[in-house]
Order: sequence, then structure tokens, then C-alpha cells
Amino acid sequence: MINLWAYLGISFILFICGIMVMIARKNIIALLLGVELILNAAALNFAAYTKFSNGNLDGHIMSLFIIIIAAAESAVGLGIVIRFFQLRESIHIDDASTLQN
Amino acid sequence: MDYTITTVAPIVLLPFFAFVINVFLAKRVPIAAVALSTLAIFGSFIYALRIFLDFQNVYAVGYHIHKVFTWFDLSAGEHLFKVNMGIYIDNMTATMLLMVTAVATLIHVFSTWYMHDDERFARFFVYMSLFTSAMLGLVLSDNLLSVFIFWELMGFCSYSLIGFYYEKEGAGNASMKAFMTTRVGDVFFLMGILIIWIIVGNTTFVDIYAAIGAGKFGGVFTSFGIGLPIATIAALCIFAGTMGKSAQFPIHVWLPDAMFGPTPCSALIHAATMVAAGVYLSLRMYPLMEAGHILTFIAYIGAITAFGAATIALIQTDIKAVLAYSTISQLGYMVIGIGVGSYNASFMHLITHAVFKACLFLSAGSVIHSIHCQEMPQMGGLRKKLPYTFFAMLLCCFAIAGVPFFSGFVSKDRILGDALLMAMENKAFIPVALLGFGGALLTAFYMFRMLFLTFFGEPRDHHIYDHAHEEHIGWNSNIPLLILSVFTLGLFYSGSFTGQGEVNLFGSKYEWFQTLIHKPEASHLEHFAHYEKEDFGTTDTRDKVELPKAAYDANHGLSEEAAHHVHFVHKIGAILSIFIAFAGIFLAYSMYITKKLDPNWWATTFSGWRKALQNKYYFDDLYIGKIIQKGLLPFNNLLAKFDSGIYDRYVVDGTAVLNRWAYNISRWFDNNVVDSGMVDGTGASVRLMNVVLRTIQSGKVQLYIIVLVVVLASYVLTLRF
Repeated sequence: MINLWAYLGISFILFICGIMVMIARKNIIALLLGVELILNAAALNFAAYTKFSNGNLDGHIMSLFIIIIAAAESAVGLGIVIRFFQLRESIHIDDASTLQN
Repeated sequence: MDYTITTVAPIVLLPFFAFVINVFLAKRVPIAAVALSTLAIFGSFIYALRIFLDFQNVYAVGYHIHKVFTWFDLSAGEHLFKVNMGIYIDNMTATMLLMVTAVATLIHVFSTWYMHDDERFARFFVYMSLFTSAMLGLVLSDNLLSVFIFWELMGFCSYSLIGFYYEKEGAGNASMKAFMTTRVGDVFFLMGILIIWIIVGNTTFVDIYAAIGAGKFGGVFTSFGIGLPIATIAALCIFAGTMGKSAQFPIHVWLPDAMFGPTPCSALIHAATMVAAGVYLSLRMYPLMEAGHILTFIAYIGAITAFGAATIALIQTDIKAVLAYSTISQLGYMVIGIGVGSYNASFMHLITHAVFKACLFLSAGSVIHSIHCQEMPQMGGLRKKLPYTFFAMLLCCFAIAGVPFFSGFVSKDRILGDALLMAMENKAFIPVALLGFGGALLTAFYMFRMLFLTFFGEPRDHHIYDHAHEEHIGWNSNIPLLILSVFTLGLFYSGSFTGQGEVNLFGSKYEWFQTLIHKPEASHLEHFAHYEKEDFGTTDTRDKVELPKAAYDANHGLSEEAAHHVHFVHKIGAILSIFIAFAGIFLAYSMYITKKLDPNWWATTFSGWRKALQNKYYFDDLYIGKIIQKGLLPFNNLLAKFDSGIYDRYVVDGTAVLNRWAYNISRWFDNNVVDSGMVDGTGASVRLMNVVLRTIQSGKVQLYIIVLVVVLASYVLTLRF
């Protein structure tokens, strides 16, 4: 029987991986991938707590919301990246350090 | 109709609004301004006539209307400071109103002729309207404060009118002189008002009467070891105002110089309004004069004025100067009347004098305007050229000389009779009576001298004589003269031939003047005391009462024997003054018509005195030469020296030095502390913060994430452990 701590451990690893990706990578698309990892960690947490609690489906529903929001967010993020690429011809994160232009 | 402030106000406001409108109208539509002024004063006259008739026929003898409103109220708690204004109409006010408006109307009509070719035709009427309105306001006033306001307003108007021909040499100085000389009296008048205000609490006439009746003026003011009763001080101060305004010795010097003004304005100032205002004030304040025991002083001032001015008038050659000195002299008679307690006769002389003197001035005006000359030696024989003027002037000369059946006789004789009575009772009054009768002789002489020189004999200057044409005279010059000259007849004022009351012209009719005008007797003052209990804003509400036919007591409340004595003395006075009047006229006749007496002989025999007269008793020399040049000018220079040497140099310049020091200190402070420290310091601190914040806000997203994670992690770990 896989207990709650195993789920939380996976979730934690996913979260750390996401943070590491966001900190370490310079590619904006990679950053977006890191954000997806963090969201997934959160969604997994919800699902795990629901599974080991009294059995209602609140956590699952919340997970579904998170997945949908993550999809929408990545779509918006990719749109921004494409627009950014048109302006700078680059998707390097350090090129996005100024507010103008 | 009830007479309230609102309904009586038009009598003052009509001329006043005419003045306000004319200020704007005078330059644009001169003829409309003239018409407006004349119609306004005529409207006031109609109203005054109505008030007068009501007071004579409808109301009881002692009836008066007194309405008050609060002008402003600065009372704080128990400290009362409430200034009331109001109207006070009794028989005297009603008579004054009628006289002022009637004479002013006729003078306005005359001025439309006299001034019509003047380039400032309309402006003259602007001043005249303001002047008349001020006089009417003064007459209607119920308190000394508003009397003073209107008094000063008249002072200003007289200043403008005397200096009306400002391009003429001396006119400006004359107006200045008139203004400044009357100011001497006005300062004392104001002091008197303040004294009364302190003692009574306000300046309303009836309250002053009540206060005198209650003995509030009994105190003694001690200063420098000399104690003077407060009533005396107050009465002297008020009387000084009269002396200034009514040109009494020794501050009479302004009136002859006031002849620089146009002749109609002389008629207005010196007959009906301004000089009358002074006597009117003294009459109103008569109880105070009595309480202050200064009646003897007043009588002496009047006697000196009456006689002294008459002597100066003897040798004047300018027709207006003769009239000016005769005005001073006649005012002296009114003041004698106050001094000898002949209240009624004094007021009567004020009225009769206003009428005949206005007529004399207007006659002189029409002579001057016809021949463009004021010097009597160049006139002569004008009787045929100016018949109406001659007729009017003849009647007026009879009146002023005191010929029986004329108004001047009725009033002046009563004053002289009372002076004689006082002289018999009290030796101190003998000089007053002597000077009064002497002045009467001189009056008759110099007035007829003027008449004979102007209208009789052969023309002495044919050029001037031929210039005088009938067509110069218009209806609007003759009508006022004739109306005024008719009213020089005595029966309009006394109802009897002699003014003694023994022969009544109108049968059962009483003598209206003696019946209506009453001296505020000491017992009468108690009557006013009840007023104190009434609330302000209410009025005396006695009903209209039919005038009792037997109101006139020929004995004036005296016993039969005493009254007999009084009437006997009055008869002696009357006979004496008739004799004196005819003697004066005969003297002038034999000197200037039959030439039995040679004026030159008199001139050479009394050359020293003549010189003194020509120099007007050296009063101008004394005031201008001695007091102003020797006294005031050095004092003025001393003050100027103090001003420029000490005040300017040390105080003003010293302030400048102090200011410069303060400037330097504050500049250093400003530059170093405020500018460098605070203003620049604000900038520097902002820049410093800017460096710090700019470093943090680098735009590097990953750095933000690191910070976020570190903060979050430290937060979580802090909570956990």
C-alpha cells in the first residue's frame, strides 16, 4: 500500500524539479515547462490528500481545474513567447530584463 | 398719514437721489440734470409744506414725532454701545423744513437763470442738491451724531461751492479758508458730542434733555487745579460748533471770503442753510446752554459779532461783501437772542433772515449778472433798468433795517426788546443791549447806503449802465425775487403789525410763531424723562388734537404786573428800534441822495478807524500773519525738522539697517540650511534610495524566483521549526 508520504514525496520532487528548471534554464519555453511541473506538483498534492481523506471529490475537481488552468496558462505563455521572439528574435530569459521595447 | 422714517425720508432723499443721478447726468445731459435737481427740491418743498400745515393745524402744540432705528449695535454683555438714528419733528423742525425747502426751491429756480451760460451749469446743481439734502437731513436729525454727519457734509458742499469758480484768483484759497476755519469749531463740536455721549449714553436730543432735567450734568471736571462744571464744558464745545458754522466772532473770517462762490450759492449758504444750521443747533441745545450757564457769554459773542460786522459793512464797496457782513451781523442778533433767552424770537429771526437775506443775495445776483460788475461805486441809477430787482431789494432793505410791518422788525425787535429787558434786570447785559441797538442803527445805514449807491442817483459808469438790458432778465430770475420779497412782510410771521401781540391782524387768530415754538423750559424737560422707559423704535403716540384757540398766553405765564412790565419794556424797545431804523435810513439818505453829509469828510475825520475797518479789524492779519505765519509755521517747520531729522534718519533709516541685517542672516540661512541642506538633501536621499532599489529591480525574472523561493522556504521552515 502506497501511503500519503510517497505521494507527497513525488510531489515535492516534482516541485523542486520545477523550481530548479525555472532558476537554472535560460530558455523561456523551458521556464514554462518548469511552471507546468510546479502546477503538476500542486495538482498531485490535491489528488493525494483527497484519496486519503474522507472521500469526497473536492481535491479531484481542484486538480482538474489546475490542469485546465495550466493548459490555458501555457497557451498564453507560449503566445507571449512568440510575440517576444518577434520583437527580439530570441527566447533567452535575460533578454527580457527591460520593461521597454 | 402717519409720519414714520420711511414716509419722511423722501424729503431728504429726493434731493439726495437727484444728486446721485446728476453726478452721472451732469456731463451728458446738463439740462436734464438741472431740471431734475429743481424738481426734486420742489417735491421736498411740497412735502415740507404738508408737514408744516399738519403741525400748524392738526396736531397739538407740544406734539412731536420721534422715530428711531438702530444704526449699529456693538453691545457686549453689559457694555452698551448702541447707535441710534432717527427723525425728530416738532414745530421748529417743521418750520425749518418749510423755510429751507421753500428758499432752496426759489434759489434753484433763480440759478437756472443765473448760471445758464456757465460752462459748469449742471455741476452747480449737483452740489446744490447735495447741500440741500444735507441741510434737510440735519434739520430732521434726532441726535447730535447725525447732525454732525450732515454738518460735515454741508461743510464739504460749501467748500465745493465757494471754490466753484476755481479758475478765479483766490477762490481756491477762500474755499480752503472756509473749510479750515469752520473745522476749528467742528473739532470742539465733536468734543462736545463725545462729552455728551459719555454722560448721557447716547446723543439723542430728548435723552440729553432728560439727562439735563435729571441733573446728570452736575459733575465738575477738575484739571490743573481748575474745576469746571461738565455742563459748561459741553455747552461751550457745542457753542464753538455754532460759532464756526454761523460765523461768530472770533472765527467769522471765512464768511466774507465765501463770497467767491456763485451768488445763488451764497444765497443758499448764507441765508437758508449752513449758517442757519449753527444757530439751529444752539437752539436745539438751548437747555444745555442754560444748564452750563454760558448764556451771558453767548450774548456777548453775539453782540460783538452783530456790532463789529455791521461796522465793517459800512465801508465795503463790493455789493456782496456788504451782504456778507450783514449776514454775520444778523447771525450775531440770533446769537444775542439765544443769549438773552429769547428763544422764540431768535428762531423767528433765523426764519425771517433766511427769507430776506436770500432775496437780497438773489437781487444782488441779478444786478451782478446784468452788469457783470460787483463794485457799487461803478453802479448807480439802476432803478430804471432793473425795476423788479429794485422793488425786491427795497422791501428786503426795509425788512433788514427793521422798518415796521416788515419781518426783520418783528423778529429783531423782539430780540432787542428782550435784550433791553435783560439789561434792566442785570447790569452785565447792558453792553449787549447797547451793541445790539448800535448795530441796528448801522444795519439800517449800510443797507440803504447799498441800495442808494446801486439803484439811485446818476449812473457813474455809463459803459456798465448801458450794458444792463432788460433782456438779460428772465422770468426765472424775477419770480423768485418777487415771491421772496412778498414774504418779507411781517404779518406772515407774527400775525400782527408789531410782533408784540397786542394788535392781532387776523382777529381771533393767535400768533402762530409764539404759539408753536417753545423754549424747552426746565419744567418741560421732565416731560422728556418718561422717554427713557420706552423701548427704542417706538414713538410718542399722543393722538392728534385740535389746536386750542386760546393756546397763546400773552403774559407768557407771568403775573399780570410782571407781564405789564415786560410789555412796557418791549414797547420802549420797539419805539427805540423804529426810531433807530429811520435814523439810519435818514443818515444814508442825506449822505448819498441829498449829499448834505459828505462821506469823504467822515472818511478823512475817522481815517484811523476807517483803516481798521478796511483791514476788517486785522483779523485776517492776526490769523494768517500772526498765528499761522508766526506760530503755526515755525511749529510746522519744527515738526518737519523732527520728521526728517530724527524720525526719517533714525527710525526709518534705522529700520532699513535692521532689515538689511535680518536680510543677510536669513539669506545665509536660506542658502546654507534650506537650499543646500534640505532641498538638495531631499534630492540626494532620493538618489541614494534609487541606487539600492534599481539594483534589486533588475528585471531578471530568475533572480525574483530565487528571492521568492528563499523567502517562501525560510517562511515555511520558520513555521515548521
